[in-house]
Amino acid sequence: MNDAAMNDTAMNSTFVIRSAERGHQMLKSDGSRASYLAGHPDAFITRASSFNFNQYQSGRPGFGTVRVFGEEVFHGSGCGYNMHPHHNFVICAFVFAGELTHLNTAGAGMVDRLQAGDYYVFSAGSGGKHCELSVTPEDMHVIYLWLLPEQLYMPPTYHRGHFDFRKRRNEVVQLVGEADGALPIQQDLSVSRLMGDAGNRFPYQLRTLSHGAYVFVREGSIRCCGTELGPRDSKGVWNTESIEIEVLEDDSDVLIVETIMIDDAKIKAWESEHVGH
Amino acid sequence: MTTEPLKRLMCLGCGFSYDEALGLPEHGLAPGTRWADIPESWVCPDCGTPKHMFEMVVIGYAAGGPELAQKA
Repeated sequence: MNDAAMNDTAMNSTFVIRSAERGHQMLKSDGSRASYLAGHPDAFITRASSFNFNQYQSGRPGFGTVRVFGEEVFHGSGCGYNMHPHHNFVICAFVFAGELTHLNTAGAGMVDRLQAGDYYVFSAGSGGKHCELSVTPEDMHVIYLWLLPEQLYMPPTYHRGHFDFRKRRNEVVQLVGEADGALPIQQDLSVSRLMGDAGNRFPYQLRTLSHGAYVFVREGSIRCCGTELGPRDSKGVWNTESIEIEVLEDDSDVLIVETIMIDDAKIKAWESEHVGH
Repeated sequence: MTTEPLKRLMCLGCGFSYDEALGLPEHGLAPGTRWADIPESWVCPDCGTPKHMFEMVVIGYAAGGPELAQKA
């Protein structure tokens, strides 16, 4: 699983994860799982994990501060995750279709409803609970990110934003990070989204040489630093000052996660064990 | 005598953290209990994730964090 192609050139380091190389899971709301997975008896969640969330640590152990990059679909109304606790992790959800009803205990507590283009950043910090449900008839499509926090036991926070894909076209828009209008995050990380049309090229400057970018193509196709990537393919690039994304197909939808490359030694050790696999 | 630095670990299932210095008195683990001395059958008290799916982290606390973590 995650049979990432390794390629160390003189300068930058990269890996590629093709769509089918991600960890694939189908989680049904039955048996002992029904207490965690909502929508018993017929609801189910499909999950494709770039960093093998299922086995937590058996695949590529994340990327910088990223531990989970999971594409999920909630199938059937009532499907989702019942109320469960978190600490410390910063959890982001980006909704692409359907509606995510999100109950969260952060602050005074709230019920939020997120539709295509909406996204949230939930910093669980000293502890919080949340419940995530799709209550409408349509399937709900979402990408989840789990990030290590800058500090342990921070006060829990919840922020939500919206990406207007009709207005913000052919530009790299920062959704999470320090840019104007982006949702704040207490980590040296940003998430950007690019909705682009064929023929456009987008240079992307990394913050420092200690940062890396994880580029995930949700729809369409791009060329990223010499590699052609189709739907659900992704590429990690680090030890470089900048990357370039060339859009090959209209309506290409790309997420760029830029993170400080902590735990580099651990990731290098994992890579050396998996060279040639 | 070797004095290995005290470790902090995070549950990859939910983010619950274990700090060797603080222990988890509410769960029967005294302050100073080494991760290695906790049985392999131990699971995350919040989500049931097995012990081997915790990751060592080098992350400091927010103000007041250690006091809250010890009561977790």
